[in-house]
Amino acid sequence: MKKKINVVLHNVLLAVLAVIWLVPIVWLVVTSFSAYTGMNTSTFFPENWSINNYKNLLFSADTVSQFPNWFKNTFLIACATCVISSCFILMVAYATSCMRFKARKPLMNLGIILNLFPGVLPMIAVYFILRTFNLTNSHLGLVLVYSASSGLGYLIAKGFLDTVPASLREAAYLDGASEATTFWRVVMPMSRPIIVYTVISSFLVPWMDFVFSKMILNSGISSQWTVAIGLYNMLEKSLINTYFTQFCAGGVLVSIPISVLFIIMQKFYVEGITGGSVKG
Amino acid sequence: MSKVMTGIGGFFRSIGCFFRDFGEAVAKGDVFVKLSLVWMGAGYFKRKQYIKALLMTLFEVLILYYTFAFAMDYVPKFGTLGTVQQESVFNMETMQNEFNDYDHSFLILLFSLFSFVVWAIGIVVWLRNIIHVYELQKRAEKNLHINTFREDIAEYKNHKFHITLLTLPVLGILFFTVIPLLVLILVAFTNYDQQHMPPSALFTWTGLTNFKNLFGMGGMTITFGYAFGRILIWTLVWAFFATLTTYIGGILLSLLINSKKTKLPKMWRTLFVVTIAVPQFVSLLLVRNFFADNGIVNTICANIGLTGWLRDVGLIRTSYIPFLSAPGWAHVMIILINIWVGVPYQMLIATGVLMNIPSEQLESARIDGATPAQVFRHITMPYMLFVTGPALVTDFVKNINNFNVIYLLTESVFTTTNQALANSQAKEVDLLVTWLFRLTQDNYNYKMASAIGIMVFIICAIFTLFTFNKMIKGDREEAFR
Repeated sequence: MKKKINVVLHNVLLAVLAVIWLVPIVWLVVTSFSAYTGMNTSTFFPENWSINNYKNLLFSADTVSQFPNWFKNTFLIACATCVISSCFILMVAYATSCMRFKARKPLMNLGIILNLFPGVLPMIAVYFILRTFNLTNSHLGLVLVYSASSGLGYLIAKGFLDTVPASLREAAYLDGASEATTFWRVVMPMSRPIIVYTVISSFLVPWMDFVFSKMILNSGISSQWTVAIGLYNMLEKSLINTYFTQFCAGGVLVSIPISVLFIIMQKFYVEGITGGSVKG
Repeated sequence: MSKVMTGIGGFFRSIGCFFRDFGEAVAKGDVFVKLSLVWMGAGYFKRKQYIKALLMTLFEVLILYYTFAFAMDYVPKFGTLGTVQQESVFNMETMQNEFNDYDHSFLILLFSLFSFVVWAIGIVVWLRNIIHVYELQKRAEKNLHINTFREDIAEYKNHKFHITLLTLPVLGILFFTVIPLLVLILVAFTNYDQQHMPPSALFTWTGLTNFKNLFGMGGMTITFGYAFGRILIWTLVWAFFATLTTYIGGILLSLLINSKKTKLPKMWRTLFVVTIAVPQFVSLLLVRNFFADNGIVNTICANIGLTGWLRDVGLIRTSYIPFLSAPGWAHVMIILINIWVGVPYQMLIATGVLMNIPSEQLESARIDGATPAQVFRHITMPYMLFVTGPALVTDFVKNINNFNVIYLLTESVFTTTNQALANSQAKEVDLLVTWLFRLTQDNYNYKMASAIGIMVFIICAIFTLFTFNKMIKGDREEAFR
């Protein structure tokens, strides 16, 4: 009996936490269906419901709201960034975790030092450099900004690869596998959780970020913007009363693909793959 | 500390070895090795490695071309950062106003720096080339096998695979982080600001003036010293609480969800993940309006009488609760909201790591009769710290530089009433990074922003040095294999 109460309390605690965590998300969703265009400050749920916000957002683009364009831009940038960054991160993680060479420690220490600088700081100079090469207000410039130094974010992936048993790799070497074969056929298949983690986090960078896109794309035309600057712009003091609910609708639409991706892939985080493979 | 010293010692020893090898190669090498000093492909050509010879020659030609066709326009002006101001001149031939052949201080700075990096790479390649060619000579003298080009390439898939893996990422980091950082470090020693904006004006070296202003020794700009102190303290307080709360919260939440007592663990995990699936600029901007002075939370608080009670107690003087618009309130709210943002992330990471704990360790502990608390203290926690330890340190540093949370929650909501802070474009809730971002974006005060950036680096470096030595150095890397 005591055990049962314990279990119930345990789940109630989780439920309470989940509710706290979901309140703003629920507010986002219900506000996006509000018939009133400004911010609803009197009640949590809107008084009149409508889907006009979605209709306006998707089918009647105006000078302020160009959501379909922004979404397409962000998606393309995110795909390019995701491919480049994931490769860079996994390559650096494998080299630093599984291989031993002379420059390893100095390079890792250098990486630590570089990580200490705030990310905004080099970007200020990068902006000038990109402007010199006419790459500001271009998507290529933004992809470069997101992915070029992504190799510095290898530490979590390395932490994971450090837990992959060395005996597996040694077995591969004994069977005559080259380092590249070991990388592709032995270590990578065992590292699915961290690959998924890396892919998700790199794909999310352009969706989550707004500083760099604001810096690089801000002075361009609004159809070239990403979702982040577009939606941020909707909350300008002069626009917020006409566009707040459209902002919420846009927020919902952006979150759907990312959530789906997250939820499909999150099981990879928790699969303990390396747990069983040495014993057999 | 001794490890750092041996590390530095080893570094210089290996440099010493490098030059000794080079000296030996030049002294004992045959004609072709010596010829390689001038024509980099010569040694390879002699050993019949024609493709390598061609590549090396091409490399040399490119470096020389770069030097004389491009670098020489900028590097000689590096000492002054340019002397010719931009002027509009009437051209008699085209009958139009044209600019004179002016100096662009920023381009001089940037391209000089770029040239130094290119030359440094060129010199290292040149030195290594000689050593390598000499090794080839020794192999040839002993009648050992000399690799064909194909075999050389194959090496890059095997023993030199790390070079294949690291080249592109390192180049990316070099061009998009190292060189820009060096540029900004140099800018901190110039007077690059709104009055000195290229191309219409020149800027020049000013030594340590910016740092003197930052520490309040500048007379006129005394407020910079004050603002720096205030913001530094808040940055550290914020980083400490933000890291601690999300890390512990994440581990506790993941233990809670992964406990055997939990019904439907996947559903709970998904619910929490949904909150981070929403991009931060959406969720944070939303939360900002949620807690706005005339927002929904304030309405609810007024309805249930909380606002009135707080006014009676004397905690607020306004007709609303200034969640994000008054110092103190905003500071606490930002840390609380950050828990909301950060815990699900840490929960996911912790879950992934917890699942990877070698299960035989847990099993044997259980068989030996360890209580769950003991398992947590002696197996789970040390393992967590080992795997996520480096991430914990980087989390602290990331929070010092946590731009998004602060900027999105407070920009254009929080206005400071403190005149001294306002004079230096700072606010009570600013972190050093948001302050320097505003200095560059709104005030074009690049010199002070760069000086602040260097200070941020030094602060982060101090914290990292203390912890990282224990975390990543030493032999613990192999401990859990």
